[in-house]
Amino acid sequence: MRNDGKSGRWVAIASTLLSLAAMPLSVSGQNASYLDFDGLTRELRSITGGSNLASLRSLGTSHQGRDIWVVTIADPSGPPVAQRPGILVVGNLSGDHLVGSQLALEAVRYLVGAGASEADLAQHVIYVVPRLNPDGAEAMFASPRTGAGGNALAFDDDNDGRLDEDGPNDLNGDGVITVMRVADPMGPYMVDPDEPRLMKHADAAAGETGTHSIYWEGLDDDGDGFINEDASGGVDLDRSFQHDYPYWERDAGPNMVSEPEARALMDFVVASGNIAAVVTFGHSDNLVTPPNGRGELADGIGIDLNTFATASNDDLWDVGVYGVPRQQGGLRLRGAQPGSDNDPNSGRRPSMTVHAADQEYYKAVSDAYRDITGITEIALNREAHGAFFQFAYFQFGVPAFSTPGWALPSGDEEDDSPAAKGDARLLAAFERAGRDAFVPWATAQHADLGAVEIGGFRPDIIMNPPASELADLGMKHGQFVARLSGMLARVRIVNTEVEAHGGGVFTVSADVVNTGRFPSAIQHGVVARAVDPVTVQIQIDPESILTGAAKTHQITSLDGSGTRGRVTWVIKGDPGSTIEIRLRAQKGGSDSVTVTLR
Amino acid sequence: MNAMKMTRLASAVVTLTAATLLTVPALSAQQRGSDPEHRLNLTWDRWLDHDEIGERMQLMQRTWPDFLTLESIGESYGGREMWLMTINNPRTGAASSKAAMFIEANVHGNEIQGAEVSLYTIWYLMENYDRIAEVKRLVDERVFHVLPTVNPDGRDYFLDGTGSGARTGHIPVDSDGDGLFDEDGANDLNGNGVIEQIRKYVPGQGSYRISLEDPRMMEAVGPGQVGDWELLGSEGIDDDGDGRVNEDPIGGYDPNRNYAADWQPNYIQGGSMNYPFQLPEARAINDFMVARPNIAGFQSFHNSGGMILRPPGSAWYGDYPASDIRVYDEIGETGERMLPYYNYYVIWRGLYTVHGGSIDWTNDGLGIVSFSNELWNGGQYFNSPLLQGQQQDATSPISGQKSRFFFDDLLEHGDEYVEWAPFDHPEYGAVEMGGWKKLSGRVNPRFLSMELFHRNMAFTLYHADMMPKMSMGETSVERVGGDLWRVRVDITNERLIPTITAEARDNRVVAPDLITVSGGSEIVAAGWVGSKLRPGPTDMIDQHDLRRIVLRTGAPGRATKTLEYLVRGSGTLTIQYASQKGGTVSTSVQLR
Repeated sequence: MRNDGKSGRWVAIASTLLSLAAMPLSVSGQNASYLDFDGLTRELRSITGGSNLASLRSLGTSHQGRDIWVVTIADPSGPPVAQRPGILVVGNLSGDHLVGSQLALEAVRYLVGAGASEADLAQHVIYVVPRLNPDGAEAMFASPRTGAGGNALAFDDDNDGRLDEDGPNDLNGDGVITVMRVADPMGPYMVDPDEPRLMKHADAAAGETGTHSIYWEGLDDDGDGFINEDASGGVDLDRSFQHDYPYWERDAGPNMVSEPEARALMDFVVASGNIAAVVTFGHSDNLVTPPNGRGELADGIGIDLNTFATASNDDLWDVGVYGVPRQQGGLRLRGAQPGSDNDPNSGRRPSMTVHAADQEYYKAVSDAYRDITGITEIALNREAHGAFFQFAYFQFGVPAFSTPGWALPSGDEEDDSPAAKGDARLLAAFERAGRDAFVPWATAQHADLGAVEIGGFRPDIIMNPPASELADLGMKHGQFVARLSGMLARVRIVNTEVEAHGGGVFTVSADVVNTGRFPSAIQHGVVARAVDPVTVQIQIDPESILTGAAKTHQITSLDGSGTRGRVTWVIKGDPGSTIEIRLRAQKGGSDSVTVTLR
Repeated sequence: MNAMKMTRLASAVVTLTAATLLTVPALSAQQRGSDPEHRLNLTWDRWLDHDEIGERMQLMQRTWPDFLTLESIGESYGGREMWLMTINNPRTGAASSKAAMFIEANVHGNEIQGAEVSLYTIWYLMENYDRIAEVKRLVDERVFHVLPTVNPDGRDYFLDGTGSGARTGHIPVDSDGDGLFDEDGANDLNGNGVIEQIRKYVPGQGSYRISLEDPRMMEAVGPGQVGDWELLGSEGIDDDGDGRVNEDPIGGYDPNRNYAADWQPNYIQGGSMNYPFQLPEARAINDFMVARPNIAGFQSFHNSGGMILRPPGSAWYGDYPASDIRVYDEIGETGERMLPYYNYYVIWRGLYTVHGGSIDWTNDGLGIVSFSNELWNGGQYFNSPLLQGQQQDATSPISGQKSRFFFDDLLEHGDEYVEWAPFDHPEYGAVEMGGWKKLSGRVNPRFLSMELFHRNMAFTLYHADMMPKMSMGETSVERVGGDLWRVRVDITNERLIPTITAEARDNRVVAPDLITVSGGSEIVAAGWVGSKLRPGPTDMIDQHDLRRIVLRTGAPGRATKTLEYLVRGSGTLTIQYASQKGGTVSTSVQLR
């Protein structure tokens, strides 16, 4: 009953009350220059309004009717924009990752400003979608702030027939949702002896005994025995795309690309075949640490304390289960027919790792990123299931990158002490930097649990750097995008030759070259048949070609760094006449030359 | 819908209204002995284009307005309405209150006959509602949503045009990677409405020869031999002058690979497009179904091969829980007995691997028991043991390729074949063109339609009858002391399909069944009774709110369970069982 009108009204009323209740609360200083939707829109209008290099338009609207802006940055004096190699930058796909939209905004400011010569905007186009999830971002400007990244889809998270009926409650009134620890002899957790602010799983094999249970900060609003199991806030858009999609998980939506925001982006991408590289600012990283030699991304880094709290609702799915235990079906191989199509082991699987031939480009781009931004270690790294940049590589077939966009404060890579691992690493690093990322445990009285302690990592600060760092960080990310644009494939016809054989017969040759760093199609783009081949076409009747290449000659991929290819036709033609030869690379531009038969 | 179509349809409706009035005297003429009498004397021996389907649906809706509701659930890419008929008897409840069967067809433009099966289903149920008690029961108990053509662009392209390459939908796709869209399809060069095959006479240089058995047949020559003929593909020219013929025809994707379970990108599953529900037709259907969680049965008619297919479409996506497979097997094996020449198969095993097909989505993503019938099996051309024996005998006139010519010559009077004839081709020079017409092969001969329509409809009605149907049975009230009562009630799912399949429960895609209680002052305990006949343990329900019991496992098929409450209070106690797919039922007892 997701679309039930009555529940929808109820939700609308509830959210009105929530925002009214939030009004008296002051926005903390940390967020003072983070921009809400109206502020971001004003800034985008201000930057693009006076520039002939940038234009602003909306790709569509969110659930709550906010525009999803895209800035198109290109010098209009060059070739048609839709034929230029392009970079797509997307930020703030997860609502809580506000920094992503700020970096995107500052990158736009940099690229349309004076310092962008490296981007060669007459030959390239840069598309920037600063905030894909404006509804989720807006929730970060209300109180309380949670670590949830979803959009505004009303979703029955706990599948109990009710929508959004048990969200978090800010019991200690500090404006953020952290966690609760409760003394519980049946609980699986204990206080970390090395750091009493942190908790760990009691290890029975080591003689340890659990003393605590851990929950998210909140009440059992619907009286079902679980806390915060169905909050408002729906789909984390950066978990809703088509590669390695986390099927049936609660924050991934009813299906891939189900959400209006995701769909708006996808329709734009599908219509923009000239996009040759993608950069997202989000919870996952492949820029600070590029894919390893097997093409795998770095392991995820999460917060144990939060994982423990989420696990308190694991038993939810055992409620209401009756009857015979579930059995997995043995396959009844009815309809057996000979032939490999019917072999259960046949059928190609989608690639799950970065192709060996593409890894050098990831390494080169990562080096440039680390060099420009100075970021060598990040705070958190989410495993990229259903992430947009993964779609862009594995299905759209272009180099695609993601970064949280800021460094772990006061990181110390050389430190091998216990404090350099897990939650202790975060706690120490933020503390050294003087950032108030941890709410100290304080006792409170809970309606169901009795005496509890509330505390833990602040979801806003642990995900977003101080506002004072945004301008510099954003400029560096603008520089990175400019550097990346210089690596895109660029194809040209550099040389032609005509040799006359008499009788109106000529040999015509054309040399094509890719002067970019990237090939015209990265290897996985070829594997996935996602990138058109480079086409070299001679503009004569096909019947006039006596031998040699076909009229339309295709090169699957032309390597970069000056790699050349020669195409030769032997044709019949009128001496003295001219013939055009056209070159097109979907992601590397186009070119044309005219030769005279003589 | 464009203006021209609208005008055509509007005028057709006027004509049909007049025709409806005229059927009144026709009816009285029938009463001299016609059996049965029909309200609408429709014929079933023509293939209808999209406008005609719309006209026929409007006519049926006007004839049975109490039961039929006609709507368009959206527009195809080409701007054609997606007509959907809902059959519901409002006197037995609103369309949302009963289990619904969704019937669709013709997602592949060339797989046309499912639309006629769908129309026949509406017509048969309405014509026989007052005549056959079993039909009345089915219509009274269930709701039917019938969408005769999922791909009206492809259907019209098939029926109005040459029929070549009509499987796809009509969103332009750059099939040859040159940045241009749909710029070089087949061409009907001789204007006879058929895309023929091209053969060229190349003495001593070819790889084909004309068969000695029948000059219409071409045979590949053996290894090391040469023939006098070469086959040059389908009728067409190099429209875009790129040196290639017919390399980028209209569309170029598979509209039944665009659904959201086990969707795979194009390089794994050709024709899947860029993301699930990108196609307006697939999206309209999904939006309609998501808004109607009472849909509990799904049939998608395709052709051909004679199959009753169940998901999943690929082996490596994994099979379903055993309890779901038992349900599928019972319906599928019964279907095999209702549909001679049809086999019940898992898609990947009996057909081929399909990623992102519609019935994977309706099963996995919407929790609906779903089948896809591949209409028409070539075995039905010569449907007797005697003739099938002869088909195995190489010397028989109906063996191998010859059977097709025999059938066309003697039973269709040559209607489906175009003789080879010379043609001067702009690129190939002097060639011959000829071959089979579009209706030959995958579409059944028209004169065999009635049996195909009826048997497949009957299977779908049987499937619909197997959808869950909840009822409340015997109740008992017993005072156990003071104002405490033990109340028992029997809760039954009368049919085969559970209210929540095991796969739907795993994926959490169907809301749980809910048992709610009103009345009484306190529910002290609740549980499932092991046996009403002898004492034994009760399986206590350990939930916080016993006035609202959540059942994630739903009600299994053909089973009665006895629920027991220990309740304090007096007066009326009402117990309601609410399921999305098996209906909502309730019963009341008096605490006295």
